[in-house]
Amino acid sequence: MLKNIGGITRECYPLTPAQLVHIYTLKYSPTQEIVNIGTGQYLQTKLNVAALREALNRAVERCESMRMRIWKDPQTGEMWQYIEPYQNEFFEYYDFSEWQEDKVTEVLTKWTSQPFDTFGGKLSRIVIVSLPNGYNGYYFNVHHACMDSGSVIAFAKDVMEIYSSLLYGMPYPKPMTSYIDSIKKDFEYEGSRKQKRDEEFWHKQLELPEPIYTDYRGKKKLLEFREQSGNPEQRWGMLTSSNGDGATITYELDVDSTNKILDFAHEHDLPVSAVILHAIRTVLSKFNDNETDVTIRDFVSRRSTVLNKKCGGVRMHCFPLRTIMPLDTTVLDSMNIIKKAQEELFIHADYSTLKYMAETRERYGAAPGSSYHSMNFTYQPATLNSVVPYLKDIGFKSRWYSSGKQPQPMYITAMHRPGDGGLNFFFGYQKDCATPEEIEFLYYFTGRVLFRSIENPDKTIKDIIDMT
Amino acid sequence: MFDKVKEIICEYVEVEPDEITEESRFIEDLGFNSYDVMCMMGDAEDNFDVEIDQEEAVKCKTVGEFAKYLGGLADE
Repeated sequence: MLKNIGGITRECYPLTPAQLVHIYTLKYSPTQEIVNIGTGQYLQTKLNVAALREALNRAVERCESMRMRIWKDPQTGEMWQYIEPYQNEFFEYYDFSEWQEDKVTEVLTKWTSQPFDTFGGKLSRIVIVSLPNGYNGYYFNVHHACMDSGSVIAFAKDVMEIYSSLLYGMPYPKPMTSYIDSIKKDFEYEGSRKQKRDEEFWHKQLELPEPIYTDYRGKKKLLEFREQSGNPEQRWGMLTSSNGDGATITYELDVDSTNKILDFAHEHDLPVSAVILHAIRTVLSKFNDNETDVTIRDFVSRRSTVLNKKCGGVRMHCFPLRTIMPLDTTVLDSMNIIKKAQEELFIHADYSTLKYMAETRERYGAAPGSSYHSMNFTYQPATLNSVVPYLKDIGFKSRWYSSGKQPQPMYITAMHRPGDGGLNFFFGYQKDCATPEEIEFLYYFTGRVLFRSIENPDKTIKDIIDMT
Repeated sequence: MFDKVKEIICEYVEVEPDEITEESRFIEDLGFNSYDVMCMMGDAEDNFDVEIDQEEAVKCKTVGEFAKYLGGLADE
């Protein structure tokens, strides 16, 4: 639809359900930086600032979503998005090579806490930087309604490939795909046969009896919620933060232990995510009086087609992964049940996250803002050097910087480290909802359950709970 | 059927249609991951107007096997 924005006629499109999740987050957050994603991509090679600046410009030109803007119609309040035409940009350069690493991180974290004006202009910031120990690259801060982690990695891949092409004569990468084509497909989903199938699936989930909230700090939290509401039968929880203040604690799992998980998953034809989710689920069960009905919120990238893999933008949806298992279920059966539940969730993940949240609350009469899960999980298998093979021979590091705010009370991301491939577990948490000590306890306990399970796949969940 | 399946496959992985044979394996040869396979099968369901049994369909490891499976459904 054509709109006149600031005297210029723009082709505008509505926001997608995936974008609206972040607008929803903003609506209930006192601060705007809660939707920022700060990252850095660094190579341990000599820096050619001019070539990197050129590569970044070409990458922005090729990536429509990097030029996406959101506009709110002052008359109607409706939100629209459009693509700003490409204009050459002069990216700043900061030389931190003589600084202490932690001081640099402090600066980049501070940059990440600078909010974007969601409805007013550019939704990203790129700065070329030199770090200590010979690492050079770029820092990137982007609004979550503009990109998700999948597109941050796809964009970084494009930048690195263009840079290598300019400097070392590597093949110039194939073009990115069109973000607009991708969102047009999303809009075609409305009223389609696929939407009907997805709706049937999710409505069938709502025919089940009400789920029950399981907190990572134990049953006491649900009892507190019940006391607050005066309803002793209440089954939902309400994790809230007054200010969204948050932090991320990163735990690095060593390579040998990571390989144990990968080998086990491969041997039993299981996705790695199902193995980790089994551990998180078992911990939640144990901490909640051996609860057999556990819900964890799972995030889906929705990037299966070439169009969606290379279009940038934000496509992530999230849904509750609910599993009901008796305690005599074996570890292997538990993982296979999770695998199947996750496959179904993935297949039906085009359904609107916000719509399903609203339908769930309506179905069970739960309060606005309530949920049945205390934890969110995502597994990110791709790292930049797994998708740009020649980076394997170059020192490379990728960093994620916190904005100091967290949209979720507790969000675990499992991601492979560039370099040795070991697993990093990022525990993003709101400070009102957990302490670093509680996170540490949770991490080590989850690890214990994970490795006891792998070593004893024929034992039952109850056996594992008793062993840990 | 095989040609139409090839067309759908090319929407999911960056390969040329000529590179796809009946023996091509989705994961090992074409670079699919299990999530891509599931989504591609959902797409095929809509394209051929058939109802796929996911558990049966994921047993198809090659393009030829999947085309044959779809052909069987279309004939029903």
